Amino acid sequence: METLVKLSFYFFAASSVALGAASLSYIAYTIGRVRVRRATMATSAGTTVTSSSTDFSPGNTAFGRWGSMLTWFGAVFAFLAVLFRTIAAERLPTANMYEFSLTFVLAISIIYIAFERLYDFRQLGAIVLPIAFGMTVYIWSLPAELREITPLIPALQARPIMTAHVSAAIFAYATFAVSFAAAIFYLIKSKRNIRWLPSLEVLDDVAFRSVAIGFPLLSLVLILGSIWAHDAWGVYWSWDPKETAALFTWLVYAVYLHTRTLRGWRGTRSAVILLFGFGAVMFTYYGNYFFGGLHAYGGV
Amino acid sequence: MAQASATTRPPSRSPLETAVDRVWRFFCSVRAAIYEISFLALLVLIGTLRGSEVPQWIADAAPPLQPLVDRWYAWDVFGSPLFAATLAVIAIAIAVCTLNRVPGIWQTISEPRVRTSVGYVARSEVTAEFIGASNPEALEQRLRDALADRRYRVFTERVGDQIHVYADKNRWSKFGTFPFHLALILLLVGGIVASMFGFRDTEFAVAEGETRAVGHGTDLSVELVRFRDAYIETGDPAEYRSDVIIYDDGSKVKDGEITVNSPISAGVATFYQASFGIASDIVVRDALGNVLFDAPVEMGFFNLRANPDAPAGLIRLPAQGVQIAVVAPDVDRANRPDLDTLNLANGQVWVQVSPLNSSPGSGNMETAVLDQGDPAEVGGYEVLFDRESRFTVLQVAYNPGIPIFFIASVLLVGGLAVTFYFPMRRIRGIIQRSAEDSSLIMTPLAKRDWGGKREFFRVSEEVGKQLGVTPKVKRPDHEGYWDDESDASEDDTNL
Repeated sequence: METLVKLSFYFFAASSVALGAASLSYIAYTIGRVRVRRATMATSAGTTVTSSSTDFSPGNTAFGRWGSMLTWFGAVFAFLAVLFRTIAAERLPTANMYEFSLTFVLAISIIYIAFERLYDFRQLGAIVLPIAFGMTVYIWSLPAELREITPLIPALQARPIMTAHVSAAIFAYATFAVSFAAAIFYLIKSKRNIRWLPSLEVLDDVAFRSVAIGFPLLSLVLILGSIWAHDAWGVYWSWDPKETAALFTWLVYAVYLHTRTLRGWRGTRSAVILLFGFGAVMFTYYGNYFFGGLHAYGGV
Repeated sequence: MAQASATTRPPSRSPLETAVDRVWRFFCSVRAAIYEISFLALLVLIGTLRGSEVPQWIADAAPPLQPLVDRWYAWDVFGSPLFAATLAVIAIAIAVCTLNRVPGIWQTISEPRVRTSVGYVARSEVTAEFIGASNPEALEQRLRDALADRRYRVFTERVGDQIHVYADKNRWSKFGTFPFHLALILLLVGGIVASMFGFRDTEFAVAEGETRAVGHGTDLSVELVRFRDAYIETGDPAEYRSDVIIYDDGSKVKDGEITVNSPISAGVATFYQASFGIASDIVVRDALGNVLFDAPVEMGFFNLRANPDAPAGLIRLPAQGVQIAVVAPDVDRANRPDLDTLNLANGQVWVQVSPLNSSPGSGNMETAVLDQGDPAEVGGYEVLFDRESRFTVLQVAYNPGIPIFFIASVLLVGGLAVTFYFPMRRIRGIIQRSAEDSSLIMTPLAKRDWGGKREFFRVSEEVGKQLGVTPKVKRPDHEGYWDDESDASEDDTNL
C-alpha cells in the first residue's frame, strides 16, 4: 500500500509540474504580443514630432498547442495519482482536503479539456489552468501527514453516497471554474474588443453551458448530502455552515440563470454574478478552515 | 362629448382588480425573482458566517464594530421571521409564476405556430438556404426525413404557394422547469410537516443493560444490550455500534445493530447512532438499607465548572429532596493539570450529596471519593460505585416529511437535468417554388444560444446531404453586444 501511495504522490508531483507549464503556455498564448510603435516625423518648421501606438497581436499558436498538450499530460498524471490512491485506499480519494483537492485537480483538467474540444478555442486555459495549478500549490502546502491513508471516521464510512456526493461537488466546482474564466474574458472583451478572443456570444454560451452542467450537479450535491445527513445525523438539513455555504453558492447561480432572461441584466451583469459565484465556490471549498459544525473534519 | 369619449374607453377595472393584477405581476416578474433570491442569498450568507470566526475577524480589525458583531452572533438567522417570510414570498412567487407560464409553454409544445414570414426568416442572423432542389412536395418529404433522422418533430402548413415548416426536438424539456420549481416548494412543505408533526430527540442516552422509553406519545422503548467501540492509532474512533432491542408496548418488535450511517426504524421512530460515553453504575441506599437508586449514570452530559475535562453525571432523588453528583477522573490530564484538584485515579469516582436543584460541585456539602466496589456513607446515604460501563447516545426521530423530501429530490434533480441537458431546439423554414425548381430557407430559434446555432449548422449539413444540395449558410459575424429589446422572447432559456 505504501508503494501505491508514494506512486500516487509522484504522479501528483508530475501533474503539478505539467499544469504549471500549461498555465504559462496558455497565458503566453492568450496575452499575445504587445508592440509599441514609435513614429518620428519632421515638420516644416524643422522640428520633429514623435508619436507612439500600442499594437496587440495574437500569441504564437505554438504556445496554445503546448498548453493543450501539457494539460493532457497534467490530466493523465492526475488520473494516475487518483487511480493509485483509489487502489491503495480501496475508495475514491475524497476523505480529506489533500484527497479532495487531488481529485479536484483531475476534474478541472478533464472539464477544461472537454470545453476546449467542444468550443475549439484555447484562451480559457489562461485562467482555468492557473486555477488547477493553484490547487496543486495548495496541495503542496498541506501537512505531509494528510498524504497518509488513515481509516475513515465513522461519519464518512458510507462509500457509495460519499463517492457520489463528493464527486458531484468536485465536477460542479470544476464547471464553475470554466464559467468563471468565460465571465472574465466576457468582461475583458466587452470593454476592449480584442479580436482574437472569441465573440461575446460564444463566451456567454461557454459560461452558460458550464453553469447548465454544474448547477444540476450542485443540486445533486445538496440532495445527496441531505440523504447522507439523514442516515448519519438523523436529519436531512441541519443549517450547518458548510451546508448553508453550498446553499449560498446554489442561490448565486440561481440568480445568474434568472438574469439571463432579462434585458439589462444579461451580458455584463450576468458575467459579474459568475465572478461572485466562483467566489462562493471557493468560500464553500475552503470553508473547513473557518467553519465549525458537523463538517468540521477533512484534516485541516 | 364627455359621454361619447367614455363609451370608447375600455371598461375601467375596480381597485381590487388592479391590486390583484399588480400583485400577480409582481410575483410573475423575473426581475422581482432576482431580487428575492438575492436577498435570500444574503440572509444565507449572514447565517453561514455566523457559524464561523469571520465576524470576529471583522470586529478584531475594526473594534467599533464589536457590538454589531455580537448582535450578528446572537441573531438566529435561519429561525428568524424575516427568513421565514422571505422563503414564503419565494414559494408564492414560484407557485404564481409557474401557473402563469403553463398555458404558454403548453401552447408551444402542443400547438406550435407554424406560419412565419419570408422577411423574418431571411433577416435572421443565422440561416441556411437550399436552392435548386426538386419540387416543393418532394423537398418537404425529404426535409421531413432528414429532420426525423435527428429526432425532430415536423409541422408544415401551406400558405399560398409556400410551405411553412416548424420543427422541434426535446420539447418536453420545456416542462422541466415545473417539477424543479414544484420540488422547491415541496422541500419547504416537507420541512414544515416534519417540524409540525414529527419529533426529534437528539440526546437519547441508554446505558448497557438499561431499557429506556422513547416517549413522544409512543409506546416504544429501547434496550441497549451491548455497546462496542474501536479506535485508530490517533485515538479517534474507528467505529462504534449499539446492539439494541426495541419494544413496543413491552413486546419486542425489532433487534439489531445501530451504527453511524445505518439507523434502525421501528414503529414510527428511527434510531440513529449519535455518540457514546462512559457510565458509572451507582447504587444508593438509605439508612435502613432500602435501595433508592440502582442504575448506570451517564457521564459527560455536563462537566465540572472547576475542571471541564472531568465528566460528570447527576442522580436526582426527588422523594428524598437530594441529588448526588458523580464525577469521573480527568480524561485529559495533560490539559490544565492545575484544574485537576480531585486527582482521581482510574477506578474511582467523586460524589457529592446536595439538596435537589442546587449547583453540583459547589458549596460546602458532603463529599467522598469512592473506590470501585467499596460503599461509603455520604450525607446519610450509602453510595456504591459498582462498575464502569458504556452508554450510547442515540438520536430518535419521527419525520413524516421524509417521503415528501424524496419526491422533491427526484423532481428537483430530474427537472434540472431535463431542462439543461436536453434543451429544446427549434427551427423555422419556408419552402418556395421558383421559376425552375424550389428552394428552402431555414433559421433556428436560437437567439443568444450558440449551442442551438451549432446544432442548426449540423442539421443544415444533414439536410443538404439528403437534398443533394450544398446549403448557403449565413453565420453570425457580430463581435459586440447582442442584447435585444424583449424581456422574454420565445427562445429564452428554459428556466
